[in-house]
Amino acid sequence: MNSIHFDGVSVRVSVDGSDTAKTLLHDVSLELTERRIGVIGANGSGKSTLLRLLNGLVAPSEGRIVVHGDDTVANVRRIRRNVGFVFTDPLSQLVMPTGREDVELSLRRSIKNSKERAARAETVLARFGLLGLADQSIYELSGGERQLLALAAVLAVDPKVLVLDEPSTLLDLRNRELLRRTIAGLDQQVIMSTHDLDLAMDMNRVLVVESGRIVFDGDAEEGVARYRMLCAAALDELPTSSRKGDVPR
Amino acid sequence: MRGHGFLIANYVPGNSVIHRAPLLLKFLVVAACGAASFLVVDWAVSLVVFCIMCGLFLLSGAGLRRLAGAIRMVAPIVLVIGLFQWWQLGGPTAARIVLNILVCVVAASVLTATTPVQDLLDGVVSLAKPFRRFGADPERFALTIAVMLRSIPFIAGAFADVRDSARARGLERNPRALVLPVFITTVAYARQTGDALAARGLGEPEDPLEP
Repeated sequence: MNSIHFDGVSVRVSVDGSDTAKTLLHDVSLELTERRIGVIGANGSGKSTLLRLLNGLVAPSEGRIVVHGDDTVANVRRIRRNVGFVFTDPLSQLVMPTGREDVELSLRRSIKNSKERAARAETVLARFGLLGLADQSIYELSGGERQLLALAAVLAVDPKVLVLDEPSTLLDLRNRELLRRTIAGLDQQVIMSTHDLDLAMDMNRVLVVESGRIVFDGDAEEGVARYRMLCAAALDELPTSSRKGDVPR
Repeated sequence: MRGHGFLIANYVPGNSVIHRAPLLLKFLVVAACGAASFLVVDWAVSLVVFCIMCGLFLLSGAGLRRLAGAIRMVAPIVLVIGLFQWWQLGGPTAARIVLNILVCVVAASVLTATTPVQDLLDGVVSLAKPFRRFGADPERFALTIAVMLRSIPFIAGAFADVRDSARARGLERNPRALVLPVFITTVAYARQTGDALAARGLGEPEDPLEP
């Protein structure tokens, strides 16, 4: 039950509303059972699409995804409850003016009594060391504090799976380390896309995505090495035109 | 992004008589101020009500700075409306209209400055409960209010950013350089907010079969 299955999943979208379809993911079949799974790849390779499928934010054009026993299309309500999703930019995710209010908003569905809800929010904020910042405007917090707060708001409802879409992209080194330690201490199954290869090395399993295909699936060290090779090959192709003196006008 | 001053004052913790007043009473005062803006025809009455509202705001302990901040946010648009009405209908009518708008802003600020947002949302849910029989979800009403409270400062911030960018490029007099980017940013923000709410399962109808 505690696994995630991708069964022949493809995602296609129409381009500018025309009949021409662009394929974002090609025939992905996977079984994810590890506690920490990293997804790495270039920008536009299909990482975010792969992650969004897990929470039902994107529906597959073909195939199906089953997360801990629930189909992401048929049981989307339960999926949203069981799969927490953290976006790259916490400001696009935090809805309320302060941290306390945002965590309480997450809890509105599950806890109807306002006093119980406030107490639970207090516990969640304390767990992440955010109690002192709970009543500050989210705009007064640092990037790392906001990202931690977004994480706290998602984890407040105790999901089984946590999906993070490039969570460290906007963070400085200190906040990145803080996030890394926090993620390491979580009980949830974590699936995370990242450009931070140190963070990827912490994972039990790494998927390398290239042009909508899983081109590597294995341990972190090999996955990162494969990704570096792909990047180097892409860079080798780039300077060719400039070597010839073909400077684009 | 900057310029996130709230049009409506944020909650200020306290134990004043206004803080302790029942939420329904505060709702009714705001509603009465809104209704009065259509009914009151004498600018002097509007001025008295405005002074009373300002008095209530200060009594709550929220402070003169927050009061001035709430008024400052609407000052440019109120000024434009006031000048137009003065030109069209004369001084007393312009004063009445401007004061009535300010009464509504200050009344709403009294409510938000003395009521935690969660209590406000609980109140909205309670008020919306009768609509359940028509298929409405009261929690969605509350979520709509929450998103509205969040979106106003965001759009104000987006406008400030775009204005600075336009200035840096010498385009501050070009309305297209101001309006279009704000519009595009706002649409992108709406989509992101929709995704974020969906990802958190907020705004979805309750399933009575689920525990």
